[in-house]
Amino acid sequence: MLVQPGVAPPMIAVYDLVKKYGGFTAVDGVSLEVTPGEIHGFLGPNGAGKTTTIRMIAGLLQPTAGRILVNGHDLASSPEAAKASLGFIPDRPFIYEKLTAGEFLRFHGGLYGMDGSGMTDRVNEMLEMFELSRWEHELVESFSHGMKQRLVMTAAFLHRPRAVLVDEPMVGLDPRGARLIKAVFRRMSEHGVAILMSTHTLEVAQEMCDRISIILKGRIIARGTVEELRALAGSDDAQLTPVFLKLTGGSGLQEIDEIV
Amino acid sequence: MGQPFPYLLLPSIWASRNRARRRQPGDLVRGLLFGVVGLLVFVAVLWGSFWLTWQLSKYAELGDYLLRLGLAWLFLTFLSFLAFSSVVTALSTFFLSEDLKLLMATPIAPRRLFHARFARTIGQASWMVVAFLVPVLAGVGIARCAGPQFYVTALLIVVPFVVIPVAAGTAATLVLVNVFPARRARDILMLMGLLFAAGIVVVLRMIQPERLLRVESLPDITGFFADLQAPAAVLLPSFWAGEALFTSLQGGRDWLHGGALWTTALGLTVLLGAACERWHFAGFSKAQEARKARFTRLRWLEGIARVLPLSDVRRHLLIKDVKVFLRDVSQWSQLLLLLALVLVYLYNFQVLDLERVPYMSGIVKNVYALINLGMAGFVMATIAVRFVFPAVSSEGPAFWIIRTAPIALRDFLWSKFWTGLVPVFLLTETLTVLANEFLGIDPFLKVASAVAILFMSLGLVGLATGLGARYPRFNAENPTQVAGSYGGVMFMVLAVLFVIVACALVGWPSSLYLWHRARGVPLSTFQQWSVALCFAAGAALSLVTWWWSMRSGVRALEEME
Repeated sequence: MLVQPGVAPPMIAVYDLVKKYGGFTAVDGVSLEVTPGEIHGFLGPNGAGKTTTIRMIAGLLQPTAGRILVNGHDLASSPEAAKASLGFIPDRPFIYEKLTAGEFLRFHGGLYGMDGSGMTDRVNEMLEMFELSRWEHELVESFSHGMKQRLVMTAAFLHRPRAVLVDEPMVGLDPRGARLIKAVFRRMSEHGVAILMSTHTLEVAQEMCDRISIILKGRIIARGTVEELRALAGSDDAQLTPVFLKLTGGSGLQEIDEIV
Repeated sequence: MGQPFPYLLLPSIWASRNRARRRQPGDLVRGLLFGVVGLLVFVAVLWGSFWLTWQLSKYAELGDYLLRLGLAWLFLTFLSFLAFSSVVTALSTFFLSEDLKLLMATPIAPRRLFHARFARTIGQASWMVVAFLVPVLAGVGIARCAGPQFYVTALLIVVPFVVIPVAAGTAATLVLVNVFPARRARDILMLMGLLFAAGIVVVLRMIQPERLLRVESLPDITGFFADLQAPAAVLLPSFWAGEALFTSLQGGRDWLHGGALWTTALGLTVLLGAACERWHFAGFSKAQEARKARFTRLRWLEGIARVLPLSDVRRHLLIKDVKVFLRDVSQWSQLLLLLALVLVYLYNFQVLDLERVPYMSGIVKNVYALINLGMAGFVMATIAVRFVFPAVSSEGPAFWIIRTAPIALRDFLWSKFWTGLVPVFLLTETLTVLANEFLGIDPFLKVASAVAILFMSLGLVGLATGLGARYPRFNAENPTQVAGSYGGVMFMVLAVLFVIVACALVGWPSSLYLWHRARGVPLSTFQQWSVALCFAAGAALSLVTWWWSMRSGVRALEEME
């Protein structure tokens, strides 16, 4: 069943999210909604608060204030129900190095209540999809970075999540791997999976995202489709990079000239 | 989601199985070495425990009394060790472990996560205690011809006895992680380390076991036992465990203390589970923030490094190494435990009253001095395997910086050597000089020991640095893992051999010289040459070990692919 993005109630909903580290406010009142089938880009310079926001939605960091709903479940009051609908692909994933890919996936599936032959079929299907089938019985420690990244993605999609959080998906992937990931994300979104994706690769965001939120110093400063962002920045550029730089303040080229 | 909590322990079990299936080169040798050493220690402890219990059984009621007291003290020692160890372990298993980032994002019920983590904490914190208790209690049981009931009781007592301090330690960690500013989560280790080290010293001072050796203080022995009994308070689980076991040894059943142990263990587990459900996530979230931990800038270090006669490269390497070491609490907090043991060691020498052996005191003192030299050598080897051997591996994935920088790998390794040599030498030299001073040994031996330590430091630190470079483990999670690797075990074997040979080369000529001097008989020319030759051989052994190890280490680094 294909899903039209933007018409259903949000699968990921974040309201007035705040995270403070002592006196420093890393995330300052962030609100956003990702509907089923939508790929929502989350852009911002380094240290803007992207990863902190995503880690709060994943249930790894406790917000100082605000509300997070996943598939209608409040993460604070029903964390298990909320997390059951969620898949998480971190930027620096942890995988048990001494497990094989198959063992890791079966363990991961078990955490989400998967069991029996259904799980075996699903594991095989996903390994096939991410081109990891022939590595199923190899230890994770022998994997390259790109393979580990694909394995983590396999695990994240294994339990058929309704929403997926992705932090920097393209880091360390070769062009073939990157194309594969893009195709998988598109396919998943067509099947109604809501994807919130933080990335520095603006071409990927431009190519894949239905909507984009730009975060700067912990606040959302702009949101919309690429066209809407272009209009907001008053830019005629076809590429997203100049639009992003305009919105987040300067290219830094002047400073580079001064140093050189 | 409905899987029982042991499911969460599966990765560790599978990983162990995979490790066993896919052995790496050297694993078999390491396994054999550890196995043989472990077996020897097991047999030694079993025999010691058997012998002591056997001897005590000759003294009827007094023997029984001492055995009962001994059990209470044994369990009290383990109680404090377990409580401390579990604070450190729980910090890792509940808050800092890497796999929590995976598990916390999954829909696991907090209670299940607690049970799995608690089981892991119990296992990690207590395996050493249990491994020691087994031969001790077996020795006691065999000496007293105890029936199967004793062994069943021992099992039923040890389980709740281990759970109680681990639950208390975990609760302390939970409170500390939530109460202290989050960025100091790791500093808790330091605090607990200090407390534990101070605790050992204070307890030992309180008991003063040397009083037993003084004939003139015989009337005080009752006071000594009264002191011994003081910490064995009736409200402590160690007392309950000791009493229950002693009763079982006599063929009885102590339901009261056994029941107290089980109800306390279960009660604490339930309470801790509820507390974790309420506060674990907040603590875990704070512990994540500890990545941006508060740190000291250590500007003084740069000032000191500037005045040292070092090249720029070596100065920067030194500053980097020392800063990395001092800012990692988990690294240097282990030094606190070592410091406590060293203090206890020195204290033992201070209270050793050898003057009471009127005719033999001189000889006994000198024998002690040589034992002291050997002990200092073993302390040196232990520190070297833990802190110097992992020096190259500690570069970890960042080693590419060194390899791509325009510096010679020779400079890099020698920098590691000097950084390790200075603290190791200073510590062991101080230890030896102080212990010899407390003993009041012959000045000749004092000088010989001090010089021997200098040469042994060069040899052992060189060996550790060189082998560390030959067998690096850049992917190890911590230095302990590096120390336990094939290279680490090889270093320990070679280091022990080195210490034995070095001590023999210093000890034999020293004894010969002192023996002749005590009798006023001059050494023959042959003996003089033998003495000189032994000392020279000792020095040569150290220098050759040093030179060969460093050369081999530099070569290994240069040939690394």
